[in-house]
Amino acid sequence: MTPKNNIVIGIIVALLVIASYNIDANPLDFAEGIPNLAIILEEMIAVEPKYIPTALWAMFETIQMAFIGTVVGVVIALPLSMLAARNLNSKFVYAPIRALLAAIRTFPSILWAILFVIMVGLGPFAGVLAVIMYTVGFVAKLQYESIEAIDSDPVDAVSSIGVSKWQLIRCVVIPESAPHLLSQILYMFDYNVRQTSILGLVGAGGIGFYIINYIKFFEYGKAAIFMLVVLVAVLIIDWVSVKIRDKFIMKTQHGMEVTTK
Amino acid sequence: MKQIQMTKNPSFSLISTNKIIQLNDVWTSYDSKTFALEGIDMSIDRGTNYAIVGKSGSGKSTLLKLLNGMMIPSKGTIKVDYVTPNMNDKKFKKMMHTIGYIPQSLGLVKNITVLDNILIGALPRLNKLQSLLKQFPESEIKEAKRLIELVGLDGKETRKAYMLSGGEKRRVAIARALMQKPTILLADEIVSELDHVTAREIMDLIVDAQKKMNLTAIMVHHDIQLALEYANRVAVIKEGQKILEIGVEGDNIVDFQTGDMTNAEIMEMHFDDSKK
Repeated sequence: MTPKNNIVIGIIVALLVIASYNIDANPLDFAEGIPNLAIILEEMIAVEPKYIPTALWAMFETIQMAFIGTVVGVVIALPLSMLAARNLNSKFVYAPIRALLAAIRTFPSILWAILFVIMVGLGPFAGVLAVIMYTVGFVAKLQYESIEAIDSDPVDAVSSIGVSKWQLIRCVVIPESAPHLLSQILYMFDYNVRQTSILGLVGAGGIGFYIINYIKFFEYGKAAIFMLVVLVAVLIIDWVSVKIRDKFIMKTQHGMEVTTK
Repeated sequence: MKQIQMTKNPSFSLISTNKIIQLNDVWTSYDSKTFALEGIDMSIDRGTNYAIVGKSGSGKSTLLKLLNGMMIPSKGTIKVDYVTPNMNDKKFKKMMHTIGYIPQSLGLVKNITVLDNILIGALPRLNKLQSLLKQFPESEIKEAKRLIELVGLDGKETRKAYMLSGGEKRRVAIARALMQKPTILLADEIVSELDHVTAREIMDLIVDAQKKMNLTAIMVHHDIQLALEYANRVAVIKEGQKILEIGVEGDNIVDFQTGDMTNAEIMEMHFDDSKK
């Protein structure tokens, strides 16, 4: 350990203490609050099974919202990612598009949801719009990064044939970046289901609407049913995406490894 | 190597009017201080099988990139079929499809099939709607299948490119270049990593196609023996300069650069230089 390292660690610890003091983060409060958690847990254990059908239906609505949001978001994100890739465009094209995408990503989906609730009113549609916005910002970024990372050899070789930019994108860029895209879509859907589950907090539909309302009225037993359904649904989706990934993505990567000799 | 007689080039002073490629005092540099090529002069007749030989880093690959317009020289002039190559120039862009280029890396699209890779060579012939839908006319698909047969990949047209062996990948790259219906074929050390037998199979394939389609082939090689076996002319590049241009006429090697008889020992030295 060099003196320089000690100084750096000292500064980080000092900043941690100052920041905690500023935001009033007291570990003692946490310790004192543990009994409260026990009360909530006790009430949550008293689940009311008759709410299961409602919870399942609300979860189904949430998944549909996430599905529409993911599909439409990806469809909008793909052309934007082509325009934002530095290896395909001039600075005058990619710079403004990147700035736009960064601006979209600045807000978490819950802020977009508030905005759209004001625009189109309460309900799932506002939630869908929020998910679309977030998906566009995020998938476009992931995708332009994977486009920039594709092997430049086929791009150069095919460019030397004298093809148009669209032909290059269609026949080289899309197939070369497609394995990443599938993985990104799965990740985004998974993420969107979890996101959409809380958009109900601001009245943008989905299962979160029930959860927040039951918690507000201290009906933790009812809220627990809905939270349990979210947990199970997320686990199932996670399991399914792992299966899809294994089937389609692992195979291609394995194939590439074999040939990189 | 077989015993080769040296003779004076009988046709050295004749100026051919059928030059498809001409380079005059071409210099290139990646930075402003060091030059990759220094004052290259070269002229290549239509239909020639021309080989460029030299060590790694001698500037051979740079020379090919200059010919297909991916690089432009810092000094000097280049004419390919009377046009200055520059891939950003509209006039040259229109003729780029007539130059088949096979880079050392081959540049295949890994995740698509053999057939789709070969069809890429037909892209410049598609109209806007066809390329939007990636819809190739039946005649192009038929031609691609004919080429698959020609390069000996029958039954592998639906195989993804990443699943192929090194030799098979080279066959796909050759078929893609031929699919362009080129007049010039540029190939950068495409057989240097292959075993002896496969390398010769691939070279036979190119020479056959070259003769049938009356192509001008310009191939970069590591191995001068292979170059002399297949090419009509061989240029030896050393540290960015063309130090020798020789041709094979029967059992004789002719020095085209000086027109003088070349000392066999000097030749041997050049060969050794260019091997590794």
